[in-house]
Amino acid sequence: MSAALRSGRRFTGYRVAGAIAAVLLALVMAWQVYELFDGDDFTRPVVQWGVPQDGAELSGVLAGEALAARTRLQRDRFNSGPAPDADAPSLAYGDELFIVTAPLDDGAVLTGAWARPDEAAAEVARPSDRVIGISSLPYVNADLFERPFARDWRVGIADVATHLGAIAIVGFSFLLALMLAVRGRVPILHGHSDRPRVKRFGLLERMVHWMTAVSFIVLALTGIVIAYGETLIAPFSRVALGDIGWLSAWAHMMFFPSFALGVLVMAVMWTLRNLPERRDLTWLARGGGFFTDADDSPPAHKFNPGQKLVFWSAVLGGLIMVGTGVTLMFPYYWLDLGGMSWAMLTHAVIGVLLIAIFIGHIYIGTVGMEGAFWAMWGGDVDRNWAEEHHKLWVRDLEQGANRSPAE
Amino acid sequence: MTRVKFVCDTERCIECNACATACKNEHEVPWGMVRRRVVTLNDGTPEERSIATSCMHCTDAPCVAVCPVECLYQTDLGIVLHDKDICIGCGYCFYACPFGAPQYPRASLFGSRGKMDKCTYCAGGPEPNGSEEEYRKYGRNRVAEGKLPLCAEVCSTRALLAGDGEVVGEIFRERVIHRGYGSGAWGWNTAYYPEEDGA
Repeated sequence: MSAALRSGRRFTGYRVAGAIAAVLLALVMAWQVYELFDGDDFTRPVVQWGVPQDGAELSGVLAGEALAARTRLQRDRFNSGPAPDADAPSLAYGDELFIVTAPLDDGAVLTGAWARPDEAAAEVARPSDRVIGISSLPYVNADLFERPFARDWRVGIADVATHLGAIAIVGFSFLLALMLAVRGRVPILHGHSDRPRVKRFGLLERMVHWMTAVSFIVLALTGIVIAYGETLIAPFSRVALGDIGWLSAWAHMMFFPSFALGVLVMAVMWTLRNLPERRDLTWLARGGGFFTDADDSPPAHKFNPGQKLVFWSAVLGGLIMVGTGVTLMFPYYWLDLGGMSWAMLTHAVIGVLLIAIFIGHIYIGTVGMEGAFWAMWGGDVDRNWAEEHHKLWVRDLEQGANRSPAE
Repeated sequence: MTRVKFVCDTERCIECNACATACKNEHEVPWGMVRRRVVTLNDGTPEERSIATSCMHCTDAPCVAVCPVECLYQTDLGIVLHDKDICIGCGYCFYACPFGAPQYPRASLFGSRGKMDKCTYCAGGPEPNGSEEEYRKYGRNRVAEGKLPLCAEVCSTRALLAGDGEVVGEIFRERVIHRGYGSGAWGWNTAYYPEEDGA
C-alpha cells in the first residue's frame, strides 16, 4: 500500500459546488427562520365586496349598509312592531346584482379588528368547548357541533410540520453542503485497488433497493408539492398549483404500494444484519470516521451503525408512513375524526423527517463518499473501499470462503 | 366595517331542519353532502337543545391557513369561500375546521375525496357573481343581491340569525334580556374570537 494517504480535500470541483450550495441553503434557511417569527401566519381577507360607484372605487360601506338593513328584518316583533318590513330601508330589497367583488390589498387589519369582541359580543359569546350531540343525518361526523382542537391541529400542520419541517430539510442539507465544501468527499484513502472487486449487493437486494428508492423519491416530491406548493409553485401560478397538486395527490397514492412492498422485503432481507451491537457505540462516538482522513476508521460489519440508522429509519419510518397513509386513504374506516387528525399530523411530521434523513443517505451514497455508489449500482465495490469502511465484513468474507456466502 | 356572522338561538331551534332542506334545494347540493345540518344536544333530557350548524366563517380561519393549494380564501365581510377548480380534496380543511363544515363527495377510487364543498354564506365563489358557472359549482349568490343566507331567512322561529354581526348580536342580546334566561351564542368564541379563549 502506498504510504501517502489521499485527502478528501483534493476534490476541488465538488468542494466549490458544495460551497455554492451551502451559501444558497444558508439564505433559504435564514428566510425560513424569518418566516417562523415574522408573525404573519394568520388568515387575512383577500377579496372585498362593494357597490360599484361612478368612480372606479367600490363602496364597501354601501354594501355593508344594504346587508345590515336586511339583517334588521330579522328583529323580533316585540321590538319592531307587527310588520317589521314596513319601515325597512329600500336597500334591503335588492332584486338585481348590485354588490360585486374585487381583490383586496391589505386585509390584515380586519383580522385583528374581528378578533377583538366588543363588550356586547363578549357578553353573549359562550365559552369555547367540545360539543357533540346527535344528528338524524346518516353522515359521519354529522353529530359534531364544535371542536376547538381543530385550531390546535392547524398550528400542528401549518407551523410545526410545515415550517419546522422545512427548517429540518434545509438545515440538514446546509450542513451536508458545508461538509462537502470544507472536508471534500470521503476518499478511498489508499486509492483504487488492483485486486478483484468485492461483491457487496446481489441482484435482488439492488432491485428492491431501487424500487423502494424510486417510489420514495416520487412520494417525497409529491408530498413536497402538497406541503410546500404554496411557497414553491403558487407564486408562479395558482391554477398550475391546483393541477400539479391534483396530479401529486394521485401519484402519491399510485406509488405507495411499491414503496410498502420494498420496505417489507428490505425488512426481511436486512433486519438480522442491522441489529445493534455494543461496538456500534464506539463507531458512533467517532462519527464513523466521516470527519477525518485518518486511516483508522472504526471497524464495521456489512452494515455500519450509520447504515443501520438509515435502515431502521426506512423500515420503522416507512411502516409508520404506510400505516398512517393507508388510514388517510379510507377516512373514518377505523379511526374517528380525532384519530384521523393525529394520523395526518404523524404522517406529515414523519414525512418531512424522512425526507431530511434520506437527503443525508443520498448524499453519502453519491457525492459524499468516493466509491460508495457502485455498491448499490453495479453490486460490487473496490477492495480498498471495503477494507477501509467494512473491515469486519471483509474479514468474515475471507475467513468464511467455505461458509455460506454473504447473500 | 360590516362583518357577517351566524348565530343559532338554541332556546328557539325546534329541529325542523327547514334550514338544511332550503339550503340543499337552493344550491342544488349534491347527494351525500350537507352544507347546513342540525345537531341535537342532550337528546331526551329536559336540557335538550337543537342547534343548526354550518361553516361559521371564522376569524383567522384555520381552513384557509392549512389549505396546501391556497384554494380557500376570506373576503372582507368575513365570508370564507373556495375555488373548486384548484381544490385537490386532501381533507386538511376538515381536520382544521372546528365545526366539521367541509364536505367531500366520496366519488373516486381508493376512497379518496373529491373536491370540497361547504357553506358559502350564499355568496358563490371566485367566478363572476351570479354567473351560470358560479351557480353550477357553488349555488346561488344571494349576497351579491344584497340578501342574506337562505337558511336564516327561511327560519320559521328566527332561531337562526345571519347578517351584520353587530345587528345579529344586538337582536340576540335583546332576546336574552327580554326572556330573562337562555344560553350564550354557541360557537362564537371558537369561531370569531379565537384569542379570547387562550387558544
